[in-house]
Amino acid sequence: MPEWLLKDENYIPQADKDTFVNKSILSLLSILSRFKTQSGYRVETFRVSAVLKVAFTIFLIVLLSLSRSFTFIIIVNVYLLLILSMMRTGEILKILRMSFIVAFFTFIILIPAAFWGNYYSMIMITPKVFATVMAVNILSHSTQWHSITSALKTFFVPDIFILVLDITIKYIMLLGEFSLNMLYSLKLRSVGKNRNKYASISGVAGTMFIKSKEMAEDMYTAMECRGYTGEYRVYTKTKFTYADFIYMMINIVIIFAFFYLGKV
Amino acid sequence: MHIPDNYLSPSTCAVMGAAMIPVWTIAVKKVKSEIARVKMPLLGIGAAFSFLMMMFNVPLPGGTTGHAVGGTLLAILIGPFSACISVTVALLIQALLFGDGGVLAFGANCFNMAFVLPFLGYFIYKFIKDRVKTEKGEYAGIVLGSYLGINIAALCAAIEFGIQPLLFKNAAGQPLYSPYPLSVSIPAMTIPHLLVAGVVEVLFTVAIFAFIKKVSPGTIYEGAKQKTRAIYGLIVALICLTPLGLLATGTAWGEWGADEIKDVVSGGNALGFVPEGMKNGFSFETIMPDYAVKGLPDIAGYLLSAVAGVAILIILFKIISGVKKNKSGSIPG
Repeated sequence: MPEWLLKDENYIPQADKDTFVNKSILSLLSILSRFKTQSGYRVETFRVSAVLKVAFTIFLIVLLSLSRSFTFIIIVNVYLLLILSMMRTGEILKILRMSFIVAFFTFIILIPAAFWGNYYSMIMITPKVFATVMAVNILSHSTQWHSITSALKTFFVPDIFILVLDITIKYIMLLGEFSLNMLYSLKLRSVGKNRNKYASISGVAGTMFIKSKEMAEDMYTAMECRGYTGEYRVYTKTKFTYADFIYMMINIVIIFAFFYLGKV
Repeated sequence: MHIPDNYLSPSTCAVMGAAMIPVWTIAVKKVKSEIARVKMPLLGIGAAFSFLMMMFNVPLPGGTTGHAVGGTLLAILIGPFSACISVTVALLIQALLFGDGGVLAFGANCFNMAFVLPFLGYFIYKFIKDRVKTEKGEYAGIVLGSYLGINIAALCAAIEFGIQPLLFKNAAGQPLYSPYPLSVSIPAMTIPHLLVAGVVEVLFTVAIFAFIKKVSPGTIYEGAKQKTRAIYGLIVALICLTPLGLLATGTAWGEWGADEIKDVVSGGNALGFVPEGMKNGFSFETIMPDYAVKGLPDIAGYLLSAVAGVAILIILFKIISGVKKNKSGSIPG
């Protein structure tokens, strides 16, 4: 045993601020965990076709935005809460947290308007925002993302956008994990005070860009080898199920309620 | 700068979406002709990059942090047209899958962040870089381009907010969507961007550009060789912006007629709002019955509250049992 190994070391690393590294790691992790819950097979909560879900969710948001009837907004909120209650606990918590944060933010923003005597905005916009955020999040949590992109194809979104969208979703995951590792190593290697840490963050992002460029070229060669010609088709077998029918009926009732309450 | 739904009227959203359609069409065509097919996947990966870039926190003085949008950086690195498509896709993912930014307001958000921001930033950068051929000139271009890019984009968002109370009112004269006029929305949006977000954007853009230039200079987008194009591009960008200006001023003129001018002249906006608001403000109780559940037949009202109660109870129980499960799971472990 060499002698220096037996000596006591009392090196105390100086405290250093690294909030920005921690915050970056946290926000990357939250994104990645959101993507991870999407990957892998799972039984969907509602077996309604994604095309219908996307179409009616967007339609519902349009109706909400157009509506001037408080009753209609409350009906939609109750309907969404009912759907929410059938989802998994973890999903419920996430969706509720998100909706409450956004609605609360809206409420705060609208307080000055209320002081000016404009209560209308606060009463109407806050529940509208709550319902809209809830609707989008229910869609995104209850549907596999690849079926949302293939649903977009039925709405005549050009191929290039869907291709780019598909690649994006996959590569957010890949690049995210890549840069997460770089941030971890930055954190591990800066013992004590590290003055170069601020400069390193640009290195992390810059490396991510160069890496993404290399990945893109590799990916294209791989695609070409497998016969990619620049266009692709989506093959879908759409069967109109019982669940689809119920979902459509509920939505027709909501549309009916919109016009009925709009007249009052 | 992500505008959520219900702050803008559906018709504004439709107009902004329609304004983006030619931009997207040109961008897709341009990208197809300009960029070799080999680089097609780069758009997707560029979108992933721009999505992740918003996750990076930059340290600010005082111990706080902020994140950049990176629109100008992306335009400088992969070209403005590719940047437009990439940011659009990143925004779509945020709106549709993360609920960040509105689904209806998607057109407006794209206009601000996928069109105005990268194009303006890029053309300012290109304009200065072509005139001042030194390295300092290039960095001056980046600084000005990214700073002005994000601030003008914020100004556009502020104008979109600010014209809402002028354009959309109910019978009582109360705004239906975002209630703040231009005099409030412009300072509220631009001051934080001028002071904080713009600085973050500049720091981030310059630092990453310098890094990539040092490490791998070949990967940066070359752009058009001619000098004149940049200025034409700037003019085109400004022309594209004018419909917004027309919309703002034109309708403002129309709407400021008769009653509102009086308010403005007599006591400024903040004060001018009060009398009208007071009139309707006390009708808090009188407005409410119309909008409350009372508007429905009694039975329907009861049913609705019953369903709401059941849904809320189920949610509560699920959350409570979920929390318990987690706790009991953690004790043995």
